[in-house]
Amino acid sequence: MKSLLAFIKKETMEQLRSGRLIILGILFILLGIMNPAVAKLTPWLLEVLADSLAESGMIVTSVTVTAMDSWMQFFKNIPMGLIAFILLQSSIFTKEYQSGTLVLALTKGIQRYKVVISKTVVLAVLWTFGYWVCFGITYGYNAYFWDNSVVQNLLFSVVCWWLFGVWVIALLILFSTIAKSNTDVLVGTGSVVLVSYLLGLLPKLREYLPTLLTDGNFLIYGVEEAAIYVVSLIIALATSLICFVMSIPIFNKKQL
Amino acid sequence: MDMLYITGLHKRFGDKEVLNGLNLTVPEHSIFGFIGKNGAGKTTTMKAVLGLLKTDAGEIVVNGEKVVYGQTSTNRYIGYLPDVPEFYSFMTAPEYLRFCGEVTGMKKSENENRCRELLELVGLGDETHRIKGFSRGMKQRLGIAQALLNHPKLLILDEPTSALDPVGRKEILDILMAVREQTTVLFSTHILSDIERICTDVAFLNNGVVGVQGKLSEIKTKYRSKEYLVETEREADLLILQKTFPNMQQTGRNQLIFHESHYTIFDMLCFVTEKHISIVKIERTEPTLESLFMEVARK
Repeated sequence: MKSLLAFIKKETMEQLRSGRLIILGILFILLGIMNPAVAKLTPWLLEVLADSLAESGMIVTSVTVTAMDSWMQFFKNIPMGLIAFILLQSSIFTKEYQSGTLVLALTKGIQRYKVVISKTVVLAVLWTFGYWVCFGITYGYNAYFWDNSVVQNLLFSVVCWWLFGVWVIALLILFSTIAKSNTDVLVGTGSVVLVSYLLGLLPKLREYLPTLLTDGNFLIYGVEEAAIYVVSLIIALATSLICFVMSIPIFNKKQL
Repeated sequence: MDMLYITGLHKRFGDKEVLNGLNLTVPEHSIFGFIGKNGAGKTTTMKAVLGLLKTDAGEIVVNGEKVVYGQTSTNRYIGYLPDVPEFYSFMTAPEYLRFCGEVTGMKKSENENRCRELLELVGLGDETHRIKGFSRGMKQRLGIAQALLNHPKLLILDEPTSALDPVGRKEILDILMAVREQTTVLFSTHILSDIERICTDVAFLNNGVVGVQGKLSEIKTKYRSKEYLVETEREADLLILQKTFPNMQQTGRNQLIFHESHYTIFDMLCFVTEKHISIVKIERTEPTLESLFMEVARK
């Protein structure tokens, strides 16, 4: 337990001193502010553009913005947060393989599974924290400017998206234990997400794929029932767990 | 008792057989020099002992416990310094040592004391910078400190002196001498003078097998050099010498080398006096690593 905590401490220190923590912090705060800001600015923007739009034959009438528009922005912008997160963290294992820093820690007697657990915990906590900070800021502004109660399934839809992030992180961990370079990690993780997205275009498969969880906009408008999302929610949860469990024996056999 | 015991170790990388049935026994409280050319398999052997490398066949026993690849429980007896140690560069030296102590599960107060003690020992006591800016010598010394941290029974060092200047080398050899009482030291090198300075036992590695191993003193008497080097002032004299002593071999400008089994030094000296050959120098060659190694490998 002590060695696990020591390794988690080391990971945290690395996140902090390498600047990744600060970059992600700023990013998620900015995203959180951007969502209501864009919604708030939309009428003003349209007004400014009204003349040129009128010339091309479009007439702008009064636009009313609600919390709904801000939440729509949230689901539009949060992928940027996840992509940045994955890009920044893709080398969390591979950097250690390439520099050989793990060798000394392992020869000190730390069990390999603890390395995997430490890195997973740090990534999961970072993602959770960043995500919910972003959510919290958007929620706060929305409550101040408009009214969050018009939104349906709000909590469920954001939990779905959060879990999608967890699923992608689990893929990142799995590919990090398989691959040697962070490019391979990104290619592996990216391909699985892409395949899931493409398969999701087929209506029959859509409900079974973790990428469904990103369709928060359908949920908040009440276009779709929350129940439809439960299957993919469970599948995402289960596959995340499988990825994590698989990564341990793979990492145990990894040549360092 | 033997601290490390290896039998029949095999390892191949692709079609290259690196270890070819290696046997090695390291007695307790010895300073064991592990000698071999680059690529002889020294690092491979050490990594196998640490369970970092999957071997094809053979058994490794550390302090009576079998080493299993991927599992690192035998490493609690071992302190290891790789040839190019890599540390978390965002930490300072004390932070890194403390981290190592925590990883091994040391008590907090004990960890603090041990870290301070070791940093003093390796001369990094006042260092407050991050490891990012360390020189190779400093990294090597920090590496020894981390290897000694949890009082290992076996200290494994992979070419600890290769990259260092003479002062740095002496410091490290002195540290190794100092810790001999507490631990067994196994270190690989290709610097013969380091071996002569501190080692009690040696093993020569060649083509993936240990050629000869044993007490250094015994091996040295067994393989004492019987070669002489003669350097003449004029090139013409070289030819005169070679005519009379055809088994002399030219090794450099005006330099000849001969073995005692061919001619005695006295015959040669008599001849030199007789012919009034002016000599620049005559010396009994020190056994170089290569000659000793070649001799050992041939047996």
